[in-house]
Amino acid sequence: MLRSIKPAGLVLLALSTGIVAFAQLIPTGGQNRPAPKSDAVQYLFPEQVRVAAGKSTPVALHFRIAQGMHINSHKPSDEFLIPTVFSIPDSEGVKLDSASYPGGDMITLPSDPKTKLNVYTGEFIIQAKLISPAGNHLVQGKLRYQACNDSQCLPPKTITVPIDVIGK
Amino acid sequence: MKRNTIVLCAVLVILAVFGWAGWANWQYRQQTAEKRLASVAKGELVPDPSGGGLKYLSPFIGKPAPDFTLQDLQGQKVSLDSYRGKAVLVNFWATWCGPCKVETPWLIELRNKYAAQGFEVLGISTEGDDLKPDDKAGWVKQKAAIAKFVNEEHMPYPVLVNGDSLSRAYGGLDAMPTSFFIDRKGNVVAAQMGLTSASDIEANIKKALAE
Repeated sequence: MLRSIKPAGLVLLALSTGIVAFAQLIPTGGQNRPAPKSDAVQYLFPEQVRVAAGKSTPVALHFRIAQGMHINSHKPSDEFLIPTVFSIPDSEGVKLDSASYPGGDMITLPSDPKTKLNVYTGEFIIQAKLISPAGNHLVQGKLRYQACNDSQCLPPKTITVPIDVIGK
Repeated sequence: MKRNTIVLCAVLVILAVFGWAGWANWQYRQQTAEKRLASVAKGELVPDPSGGGLKYLSPFIGKPAPDFTLQDLQGQKVSLDSYRGKAVLVNFWATWCGPCKVETPWLIELRNKYAAQGFEVLGISTEGDDLKPDDKAGWVKQKAAIAKFVNEEHMPYPVLVNGDSLSRAYGGLDAMPTSFFIDRKGNVVAAQMGLTSASDIEANIKKALAE
């Protein structure tokens, strides 16, 4: 039997068997991964925007949700769930005229296939309209959200969305 | 013939090396998990060295459960100490937590199944983490939402509020649901973070009743 197999093939077979066996012992994460210890949502961009002073100007705010996590959309499917909301504190000088949110995806959890949830996953964009006076304003916007994965939920959180708004 | 013998030996050596690497990896993860259990002041989820899932490491296993006194939905004070002599499942949950809602029917069924043996569930709502203690209107609104949830889910066991105030005492409570299984003497015998299964919860209830 051994004579019919070339030595190089036998070594290759042993190597691949070993690698497969070894790989089984390496943790892979996946759906069972623990919830992230850092923020579940990260603000991506823009860092700086130029707007017409005193006029409502559209700005697309880009966010990314940690892998394996989801957050409720702006209009969650259940009254107990906490919606994602972007706001700008009154003290910032720049005002949020309006915010338009994406619709969200309908998902079900493996543990509860009957309940549909309206959520954001991956990257999402909030279309905000800002009204800024003339001058430079470092705005500390706020995004409030509540994140979960398939088996656990993190407490509601508010992150800062820093935007350098230049009104001209 | 000689060449084949050399190849066979090489294959056996390679397999032995990989076997050793796997064993060393397993040993390393076992030791890391034990070190973490010994050192953490707060609970955390880590890969379970005996399987592919996650294991919740709580620094309270084998130790007395931190006592607390919280109000129930009727405003009555309830302390953990008053349940001494019973096995208790302290379940931290929230109305906004989908997995908590999934496990609630399991808790109700198991509570009813083992109540006669001296078992009780204490549901502790963690809402209101963003409310100030003097925000009366906020707390009234929050309690109303909790009460609505409790009624809709037909939860028969005591539900206490302001559970977030126990966060530090109970090792962080970083995610919901989180449960602690306490024996009749008041010691923590098991802990779970995240949704597991009814059978896992039942096994831990039996453990708490048996101690």
